[in-house]
Amino acid sequence: MVRLITHNLLACHVKNCNANNFPLEFQNVQLEIREAEFNPEFVKGFLPKIEWKALVDTARQLGDTSLPNEQPEMLDDDFLKNLHHVLLEIHVEEGSMVCPNCKHEYPISSGIPNMLLAEHEIA
Amino acid sequence: MAPRKLESVSLEPSEDPATFESKNVHQIYDAIATHFSSTRYKPWPIIATFLQNLPTGWVGFDSGTGNGKYLPLPADRPGAIWTIGMDRSRNLLEIARHAGGDDVVREVVWGNVLENAWRPGAFDYAISIATIHHLATYERRKLAVQRLIQAVDPNHGRILIYVWAIEQDELSKRKVVDQDEAVVADEKGKDVMVPWVLSKNLAAKPSEDSSPPEVFNRYYHMFAKGELGTLAKDAAVALGLSVGDPSAEEVGQGVEVVQDGWERSNYYVELRRWSK
Repeated sequence: MVRLITHNLLACHVKNCNANNFPLEFQNVQLEIREAEFNPEFVKGFLPKIEWKALVDTARQLGDTSLPNEQPEMLDDDFLKNLHHVLLEIHVEEGSMVCPNCKHEYPISSGIPNMLLAEHEIA
Repeated sequence: MAPRKLESVSLEPSEDPATFESKNVHQIYDAIATHFSSTRYKPWPIIATFLQNLPTGWVGFDSGTGNGKYLPLPADRPGAIWTIGMDRSRNLLEIARHAGGDDVVREVVWGNVLENAWRPGAFDYAISIATIHHLATYERRKLAVQRLIQAVDPNHGRILIYVWAIEQDELSKRKVVDQDEAVVADEKGKDVMVPWVLSKNLAAKPSEDSSPPEVFNRYYHMFAKGELGTLAKDAAVALGLSVGDPSAEEVGQGVEVVQDGWERSNYYVELRRWSK
């Protein structure tokens, strides 16, 4: 399960791929929605560390348009619930993540992303 | 049963450490995953305490998560922090995914502790439990610690590392060194093979025959006293970071050793990153 919380933390790490290597782009994905317990304090605590544009763009690409372009100043319950859903309830089960820079493809199988590189690709 | 003396091993100069680890660590864990996991369920107290004390909203990763037993913690505040598990063994990840029960799915990533699959400084904390002792050279163990330091926030990132110690307690089934070799091993640690006797009921292909159980030997570097602390400091220096208390510095970035100790046959070190 690559959820968007994890996706927002991953970056391409192929040798010499140091710029424009985030966010990875989902391709050919199969999604599953699974409910997760809502913990507003967790979501608020994680909020400052999110790469916001990457999260919003990726969520939209996966069909979820609930998040605003900019983080709101007032954190109401609706916003936190939408953010919770985007971060923790959308599971990418199959597909791949492709680096926007070097085009390296990280496959996702049975919900587990393969971030291993071949020997010659390791920095 | 008296503790059993472990077989020594040394990496041939011509041997590629990555190939050696693949054969003597990764392939073994993939083969014994189910049985191994059934014996690893109790969290070490130091690690449970570390996770309990992290603020709500923190996100971390577990480098070498194994069966993911630390992913559901802290038990008293489930969901307050979020730990993502990473491991080299795909079979262990299948188990880690459901750590703590089938009703919650954990986040796990198939990755290598020597690679850098994360945005720099993206995490608030990182743990690496019983993992870097499987790396076959000092340089590789140091690189694994560098990866942890790079992955956590430069202003507050916290790290906890745990490895097996030469010094085993009275409950251990293992004996690492004899008296006569203790002096050398006390400085540099010792490379050994640790046998895993696979329970037949949990083998990939259960059999009803009476042949002896299959034995798998895993490579370990058993750490000497003080070695883990030195390794952590060397890793920080290799990244151009100061080592020590932030109050001693005017400006810059550094790593502070918060605690460094021994618990039940393991050494541990806790680090904290700071910037001024």
